[in-house]
Amino acid sequence: MNIVVCLKQIPDLQQIRIKDRRPLLEGAPLIFGDMDKSALEEAVRIKEKAKGTKVTALAMGGAKLKDGIKEALAIGADEAVLLMDPPFAGSDTMGTARALAKAIEKLGEHDLILCGEGSTDNYSGQVGPRLAELLDLPQITYVRELEIEGNKLKAVRNMEESFEVVETELPALVTVADEINQPRLASLRDILKAARKPVQEWTAADLGLSEDEVGAKGSAIETVSNLAPEQERKQVVFKGDLDEVTENLINALTKEGVLGR
Amino acid sequence: MEFRLTAEQELWKNTVREFAERELEPIARKIDEEWERIPDEIIRKMADLGIFGVTIPEEYGGMAMPGEEMQYAVITIHELARGELSMSLPVYTLLCIGWPLLLVPYGTKEAKEEILPKVASGEWFLGINTTEPGGGSDLANIVTVGRSDGDKWIVNGEKAYISGVREATERGGGHLTLFKTDPTKGYKGTTFAYFPADAPGTTYTTYRDMGRMGLSTGGFVYKNVEIPKKYILGEENKGFYVNMEGFNVARALVSAACLGGAEKCLEISREYTKQRVLFGRPLVNFEAISFEIADDYAQLELLKLMLQKGAWMIDQFYQDRSSFTKEEINRTISICKAHAPMLAVEIAKHGMMYHGASGYTKDTPLEMALRGFMSYVVGAEGGYHIQKIIIARDYIGEEAVPYRGTQKAH
Repeated sequence: MNIVVCLKQIPDLQQIRIKDRRPLLEGAPLIFGDMDKSALEEAVRIKEKAKGTKVTALAMGGAKLKDGIKEALAIGADEAVLLMDPPFAGSDTMGTARALAKAIEKLGEHDLILCGEGSTDNYSGQVGPRLAELLDLPQITYVRELEIEGNKLKAVRNMEESFEVVETELPALVTVADEINQPRLASLRDILKAARKPVQEWTAADLGLSEDEVGAKGSAIETVSNLAPEQERKQVVFKGDLDEVTENLINALTKEGVLGR
Repeated sequence: MEFRLTAEQELWKNTVREFAERELEPIARKIDEEWERIPDEIIRKMADLGIFGVTIPEEYGGMAMPGEEMQYAVITIHELARGELSMSLPVYTLLCIGWPLLLVPYGTKEAKEEILPKVASGEWFLGINTTEPGGGSDLANIVTVGRSDGDKWIVNGEKAYISGVREATERGGGHLTLFKTDPTKGYKGTTFAYFPADAPGTTYTTYRDMGRMGLSTGGFVYKNVEIPKKYILGEENKGFYVNMEGFNVARALVSAACLGGAEKCLEISREYTKQRVLFGRPLVNFEAISFEIADDYAQLELLKLMLQKGAWMIDQFYQDRSSFTKEEINRTISICKAHAPMLAVEIAKHGMMYHGASGYTKDTPLEMALRGFMSYVVGAEGGYHIQKIIIARDYIGEEAVPYRGTQKAH
């Protein structure tokens, strides 16, 4: 079985500073988002069960991807394809999906495409579904459990208020929620081995894409501003009898969803 | 000149950091106060990650990156210390990963095949055993004696203030031990060898330490203990040199533990003083606080850089012994070992003061860190003052060496 996992490097949200409501992205280390790592972990788990499975990590990004991709290779991808080319810069979700689709077609036969349900920075959640459309594959989103038997794929989707169990045949595209697994930490042995795994770099021209189809030029979306949300504290104070205010506090916290989840 | 970590080193650093945050931070207080030991489960997880194999070659069950062993070891200990501020687990680990660096070049094949795979798998503890009740810095005058008897020594004597006496006895493993094989000579009559903790005739006692309660400190008593000669490192009566060479490795890793712990304490202080509002402004808005944090940060970065250089020098040395002299390595590492524990104590103390009264409680890990750090000011492969003797001996010259007796001015 051939699995392709799509990954995106994003700024480490823990290390971003906010100044005048604007996130300062420069200098923040780049990491793979949690859901992307869950997608990769799921692929590696499938590989560990089904002998002969090959996992390819596919990512589009800047120069730091060259080092960053080693994490995916250490966690268990067998090889990587990097889409690193100036024309790709500034791609919106459509341009990104176009580039990824071309790359997946160029890779050849594939049975399963795995993505995070969204990236932890912009969280549009669009690249997976768009990619499925371009590749004309069945898509299953928000997956919290995944099972593959032969040519059949069974998934449990998290619809927030309910779970939905769906089945399809391979090939298919699945986007995963981070609850699907706890991604492993790569061992030293795997980290050192990762350096020897094959990594290819493809340009827009390699994929037969013109500059109008990807990057800022091919983008239908213009980012007007990027501001941190302002969170005002509610500052609710309960006064009175201790037992009573304790109960009021518990009720209020439960209502906010802080307790009793 | 290259100041960046390699991509693999960076990835390993992030891996150990995440492990420390996920697995160690939540249990550090329990290691220090409740269990007074490191849980087997944690040691197993560390072994799975490859932590105990960073300095051990693949042929002996490890996964060392040849030529970068010390750099990986320093990264590992720094990150573990950030997560386990009592210093118990970082020190347990630094002993286990430090001393193989000496066993590999100086041990016999037989000993290496027996010991190293068990250390790499986390099963065995490996420590260092030189100090005696009479003292630790004056090693020429140790009195533990091994009498040669065919292919073994019969050892009698006593060791004191040894880390991991209980761990080696309970888990398995032992200590690299300095002892006299020619009692008529000073340090030129000493031999360095691995002593299994379970060798018959060996008993141990433990002390009540001030800090890092998760790792035992104690003494060994040897009564007619048979130690096979296959456990020797280097040559008979030349053990002092091998031991001293090993101290550079251990001092570098102790420095890494102190700097990792100090870095975490400083971050705790930075976040607290940004959030704590007093007199209508964040505490850190007072320059008495922000300047001190800036100074501590500067000192920390200076020492991290020095240690990075020292680790790199040791790695160069084991690849090519003509790359650096031992003296060059000695002074670089002694600068780190003299100042890293002191700085760590200062940073923890400053943090306690920013926290006010709560800084003196066990609500923050700062007091626990301070107790742990003190261990490395006082001792551990040469205390603060011994490091100064080494630096002075090198920078000033023979006139500054007190242990050579009365010196004449030149």
